[in-house]
Amino acid sequence: MAQPAVPDARAVPRPLTRGIVTCLLLVAIGGALVVPIYARSLPKLGGFPFFYWYQLLWVPVVAAACWLCYVLLRTKPAAQDGPAGTPSGNGAGPGQAGADR
Amino acid sequence: MSHVNTVSFAIVAASFLLVTLIGFAGARWRPAEDPMQLNEWGLGGRGFGTFISWFLLGGDLYTAYTFIAVPALVYATGAAGFYALSYTIMVFPIVFVFGPRLWSVARARGYVTPGEFVRGRYGSQGLGLAVTLTGILATMPYIALQLVGIESVLAVMGVGTNSRYTFFANLPLVIAFVILAAYTYLAGLRAPALIAFVKDALIYVTVIVAIIYIPRRLGGWGHIFGAASAHLATVNPATGKPYGSLVVLPAGEWAYATLALGSALALFIYPHAVTGVFAARQRDVIRRNAALLPAYSLVLGLIALLGYMARATPAVNAGVAAGYGNAQLSVPLLFQHMFPSWFAGVGYSAIVIGALVPAAIMSIAAANLFTRNIYKELIRPQATAAQETRVARLASLFMKVGALGFALELNKTFSINLQLLGGIWILQTFPAVVISLYTRWFHRFALIIGWAVGLAYGTLQAYLAPGGGQQHFGASTAPVFGHVTYIALTAVLINLLVSAGFTLVFRAIGVTDGYDETRPADYSADAAPAALAPAAAASAAAASALQSHRPLRARRSS
Repeated sequence: MAQPAVPDARAVPRPLTRGIVTCLLLVAIGGALVVPIYARSLPKLGGFPFFYWYQLLWVPVVAAACWLCYVLLRTKPAAQDGPAGTPSGNGAGPGQAGADR
Repeated sequence: MSHVNTVSFAIVAASFLLVTLIGFAGARWRPAEDPMQLNEWGLGGRGFGTFISWFLLGGDLYTAYTFIAVPALVYATGAAGFYALSYTIMVFPIVFVFGPRLWSVARARGYVTPGEFVRGRYGSQGLGLAVTLTGILATMPYIALQLVGIESVLAVMGVGTNSRYTFFANLPLVIAFVILAAYTYLAGLRAPALIAFVKDALIYVTVIVAIIYIPRRLGGWGHIFGAASAHLATVNPATGKPYGSLVVLPAGEWAYATLALGSALALFIYPHAVTGVFAARQRDVIRRNAALLPAYSLVLGLIALLGYMARATPAVNAGVAAGYGNAQLSVPLLFQHMFPSWFAGVGYSAIVIGALVPAAIMSIAAANLFTRNIYKELIRPQATAAQETRVARLASLFMKVGALGFALELNKTFSINLQLLGGIWILQTFPAVVISLYTRWFHRFALIIGWAVGLAYGTLQAYLAPGGGQQHFGASTAPVFGHVTYIALTAVLINLLVSAGFTLVFRAIGVTDGYDETRPADYSADAAPAALAPAAAASAAAASALQSHRPLRARRSS
């Protein structure tokens, strides 16, 4: 019944990448979870109290943070790595991956 | 609202006809080598890429609750209703973390349901069954809620509601549901995946037009927030306190944060969300979608603001009052009073189809659970793949009949509260489903005891919570040490503490633990390149596959 699947040896990211991803995700969640940050009505923007425009603005911020994390963790088969490449998710070459920092 | 608006009704009927045709066509979309595998009917062949998954998950997660209940809450209580936006912000970083691991282990082991994963991880039929029953229980009222959403649109359109006989009053809803059941039976997950495209197009068009056009007619955002603020500051005669506030007050911050966090933790362990995740073709599809799905959260935020627009429209307030104070009518009424009939019809269609897509996916998810965790586990372990698929199709019909019963028999407020109760229940499977992805430390029996205690505590607290003119099941929050907290979150903390305590006890007295059939590599597995290649070239392959399997399909449908 099991689907064809391959264990991905490169799925374990380097500690630095892991740290950055963890921080990004925690900030993304924290910005919505810590309500006192945005439970205020000033400054207003286009008639919107701060409470509303902050939360609406936080949505694309979180989306961008998730995309950045995805790029950092991306694991693609080496054959499909185009010129765009993967900056650091490629655990196969730690030394080379570290060069972009 | 006593006469039927023919133009609006014609638009809704035409949209419904369109999605019905698409639903039946779904059976022929991306045809399977063997359609009688549960993987095919129940997970669309596990072949959906980023693009389709985005529509499928968006169509799945943003339900009638989003379009009707959230703006209704904002209409009635103001800022407190906005916790839904905060919740849909938090949910994506959370699923970014655990979604890929859950997908990988399911792919590697061929699991179709979260219950199967838990059974396999702990070698415990009982724990798998606990997760399964909780999933089915929490899904049933959620489907019913979709029907309530459709009902509120029908009520505003004047369809059926003025009939003297209950049978005729409910007829449009029953017809819609029977047709939905028919194409879900035939096409499985492919039907809602295709219809999701129509749903999203309608929703985005309606919301963008509403957000630009209505504020202009109402005299700008300043006026809308002003009118809402003035209403929220007045004293509610029922409670002796103001109706609400435009910005969450310090006293309400804890409830706001815990409702958002608890709902965010719960969302992706609902069976229908798990089904959407499992249907992805590749591990990275989940992460890419965590970054792309927030587009829907933005829409949710804008839809929530429709509640304030409704408040700033005197005709809507009069209509809600005429509907016995049913705030769920506020958005359909807003469309009725602000838009020309034809565009109101587009908006109504968006809500109706927006309710049908999740209802279909939820019934499929519950059917998968029943088939794999109850039928195959307890009734007929030797069942073939074809028997499984047949049982799942029938189970999806039963789920819909049950939900229809819920929607027709119970009063509306009750079913909304049952949905909140659903969140309390489903979160009690968090330790078994999500924490297990990272550690096997907990003992299987300890998890069952923790689950039972959490479930009992949560249900009792919800039962004791008064609100909205009801003695019981009136609210989903309760004070804990002086802070008003979402009951689901308190219950799952108790659940974890009990599980941890009993784990230590069972280890100490040496109670045998189950066999873990998963392997560490399963949790980071990805689709094999061999399996990916044909899927990547789907457009070319689909044409030839369609040819070669046509005789098979013809035989099946006859």
